[in-house]
Amino acid sequence: MAGAPGVGPGAGGGGGAAAGLKTYFKTPEGRYKLQYEKAHSAVLHYSHGGKTVSQLTVAYLKEKPASQGSQPSTPSASSGMRSAAARLLGTGNGSKALSFGGGNGASRAVAGSSRVGGGLGTPTGLGGSQGGTNYDGKGTYIVFNAADTLFISDLNSQEKDPLKSIHFSNSNPLCHAFDPEAKEGHDLIIGMGSGDVYSMSLRQQLQDPGRKPVAALHYNKGDKDVSPNGSRCTSVAWVPEREGIFVVSHSDGNLYVYDKNKDGNTDCTFPAVKDQSQFMVAHAKSSKSNPVARWHICQGSINAISFSPDGAYLATVGRDGYLRVFDFSKEQLIFGGRSYYGALLCCTWSSDGKYLLTGGEDDLVQVWGMDDRKIVAWGEGHNSWVSGVAFDSYWSPPSSDGNGENVYRFGSVGQDTQLLLWDLALDEIVVPLRHPSSASPTFSSGSPSTHWDNACPPTGVLQPSPRMRDVPKLSPLVAHRVHADPLSGMVFTSESILTICREGLIKIWVRPEQSENNQQSNSSEFALGPASKDRAITSSNKASSSSFKKLPPVLVT
Amino acid sequence: MVMGASGSKLEKALGDQFPEGERYFGLENFGNTCYCNSVLQALYFCIPFREQLLEYYANNKTPGDAEENLLTCLADLFMQISQAKKKTGVIAPKRFVQRVKKQNELFRSYMHQDAHEFLNFLLNELVDILEKESSAAKDSPQSSSPEKAPNGPVQPLANGVKKEPPVTLVHKSFQGILTNETRCLRCETVTARDETFLDLSVDIEQNSSITSCLKNFCSTETLNAEDKFFCDKCCSLQEAQKRMKIKKAPHILVIHLKRFKYIEQLGRYKKLSYRVVFPMELKLSNSSDDVDTEYSLFAVVVHVGSGPNHGHYVSLVKSHNHWLFFDDENVEMVEEQTLQTFFGTSHEYSGNTDHGYILFYEGLGGKS
Repeated sequence: MAGAPGVGPGAGGGGGAAAGLKTYFKTPEGRYKLQYEKAHSAVLHYSHGGKTVSQLTVAYLKEKPASQGSQPSTPSASSGMRSAAARLLGTGNGSKALSFGGGNGASRAVAGSSRVGGGLGTPTGLGGSQGGTNYDGKGTYIVFNAADTLFISDLNSQEKDPLKSIHFSNSNPLCHAFDPEAKEGHDLIIGMGSGDVYSMSLRQQLQDPGRKPVAALHYNKGDKDVSPNGSRCTSVAWVPEREGIFVVSHSDGNLYVYDKNKDGNTDCTFPAVKDQSQFMVAHAKSSKSNPVARWHICQGSINAISFSPDGAYLATVGRDGYLRVFDFSKEQLIFGGRSYYGALLCCTWSSDGKYLLTGGEDDLVQVWGMDDRKIVAWGEGHNSWVSGVAFDSYWSPPSSDGNGENVYRFGSVGQDTQLLLWDLALDEIVVPLRHPSSASPTFSSGSPSTHWDNACPPTGVLQPSPRMRDVPKLSPLVAHRVHADPLSGMVFTSESILTICREGLIKIWVRPEQSENNQQSNSSEFALGPASKDRAITSSNKASSSSFKKLPPVLVT
Repeated sequence: MVMGASGSKLEKALGDQFPEGERYFGLENFGNTCYCNSVLQALYFCIPFREQLLEYYANNKTPGDAEENLLTCLADLFMQISQAKKKTGVIAPKRFVQRVKKQNELFRSYMHQDAHEFLNFLLNELVDILEKESSAAKDSPQSSSPEKAPNGPVQPLANGVKKEPPVTLVHKSFQGILTNETRCLRCETVTARDETFLDLSVDIEQNSSITSCLKNFCSTETLNAEDKFFCDKCCSLQEAQKRMKIKKAPHILVIHLKRFKYIEQLGRYKKLSYRVVFPMELKLSNSSDDVDTEYSLFAVVVHVGSGPNHGHYVSLVKSHNHWLFFDDENVEMVEEQTLQTFFGTSHEYSGNTDHGYILFYEGLGGKS
């Protein structure tokens, strides 16, 4: 087809060495420093034309039961464009053991054909894979995809190249999710461009020296005749508190619920979707069928999904610009709302399940309240589409008084190559919503949505797009250009922030030292006043200079 | 016959979903006329403009005595497409191209031309013709030629009364109003001057979005040091802030991305292959309206090539929920996701040279 981007050499692929990119950024807590970079070096040398967008999953492997005195692994929530929400763990669960049966009767190996040469021009190689290395022990791993390969890296190793490369011959991996709570068998699921899904054991992949998936199970949604093109997977997620159940969203607006313990290749059909814009749930008729259910969510692509930490609620964002929050067990819509304009691309939950973040094509980050079932604030600061949002569940406000419970730290990354950090102080956000609407009654369109002092909207309603002047605004605490290429995701871990760009380069920004943090807290008296502009905004990029605590916000057209 | 095969292929691809009464025709290239073809396809699928033009032409066409001009040639071409017996095919816009070259020597050579210059020339020429015909229809003795200023300031006449140019079908579709505001930082007086536009030309930055480019277009600029502003109230040069606001949003918003930048050191223009993402929907805030105008993308003129003087133009057009790719004679259906390949590139020396150049957004009726 004319206009398809050609494959050509990319200059300056290595982000860290590129001019203008700093290796640190400052926050009130201190400096975040670039510690490691992870990438498959071959991929960065050849632009694959953006046909796939790299995504990032952090996987925690726990000790095998035979070992004694194991250290509990630290939990984290991962999010990003099309990355699935992993389950949040309390530290008390760290000692939970994994066990593997001698032979997995349900396991069916994928008969992968050997890879045909050429393709995107990526040279073949084992990367950092080492034969015979024992990976029975615990560890933290990074799973990411680029072109037709899935890579696994050691988060805490200085090695830039991945430990493991898994090549898929039929289709490209697009999204993946890891279940740290998997009791047995497979814990890693991968969604493909063809619409198929694979599940496998992360430990088994690390133990095997080859480049093919090991003992992978294959799932397809069965109704290929309905969508002959095989709409691609956009997001995959394990369901928290539901052992072995995972959910896959697709670009045709459908979402499928699978059981990993059932055969993934059954012939099951769901009724055709007559009205593409109508929400509809269909269950498989046979108890042996997999997927067990299909949800038709919206017209157009579902771009990302995210489960609340307790697994009760499922959030989806779509091409039509709507966030939708469902009660997963009851299969009912709880509430939803629209972006200012354009599609929404990413979504995530706070660790207490009270708030959601979304980002999309209007360059805004939206904050939604679960209790009030509506928009709380818009974050302005990105210069391009927002591709990843995440709450920092490891951050606590410097102040130790009661206000601490109402302050959240979250981050966002965008196609503007920027990482933004935000503080959400609910006590200061909520106040303007109690005032009457600033709009004159003469201009009121009469729609209830224009009056933000209205009561909580009823259950099951999708709110229309608010006006720019009606929503409180947030400004970022930090704006930092972290990559040379547009970003696709970010993850907070206990010791660092991970960012990944669309081409597959991962950067690990280590958190400030504890002593430095104490020193900063003592010397700056940060808790007593608004953040110092000199300290808060350190990026050379143009960033918003107004403090989020100054309300009401000035209307910026 | 290749053309017939490709035409029937498109009909097969659409099948039952081929829209009623619609026609998908490629335009023949007469040697570097792709700048013309791509803009024509975008304008043809601007449904309000097409319908108003054909209606005006049907109502005002007098057989025999009417002088041929760019308006009649364009209307003839649109009529030829819309009334073709076949649903798909190829049309040669020979009369139109000859008329363009006759009226503007800039386009007479067989060199590569700028699509945005052509679009500006065409719309302004149509405005001239329509205004002349409108004033001629009034048979007014004061029918001096109105000032040609669709993208310039609205000049008040000597008698103090603004002479509003007649609202032509071009203005109905494409015209918006900008307000240039200058605020003296000493006495806080705001000086406002309105300016009409048929399209917006915005500067671009690497890894940005149309949203941020439009924000920069309307951002505040400080006049200080040697660039101070003479304030009438202070009667002296003062520091000031200058800002552009959209007073009235057009029905069809045309956004021109300034991808060709003059490099002083090289003495020539260079193409900026920056990655600028553009969404399928967009909103503009009006300063004179309480609600934001919502837009939907329906056409993109894409420049292919590494420089301004050699390359190619193609257009992507949305028609009845399908996206079509027009490459001179060739027409094919593409997925909406394909538009993302024309955002641009993050690397300066990439193999990808297809970049979105002119974006066409249509205003949705209901304002949110």
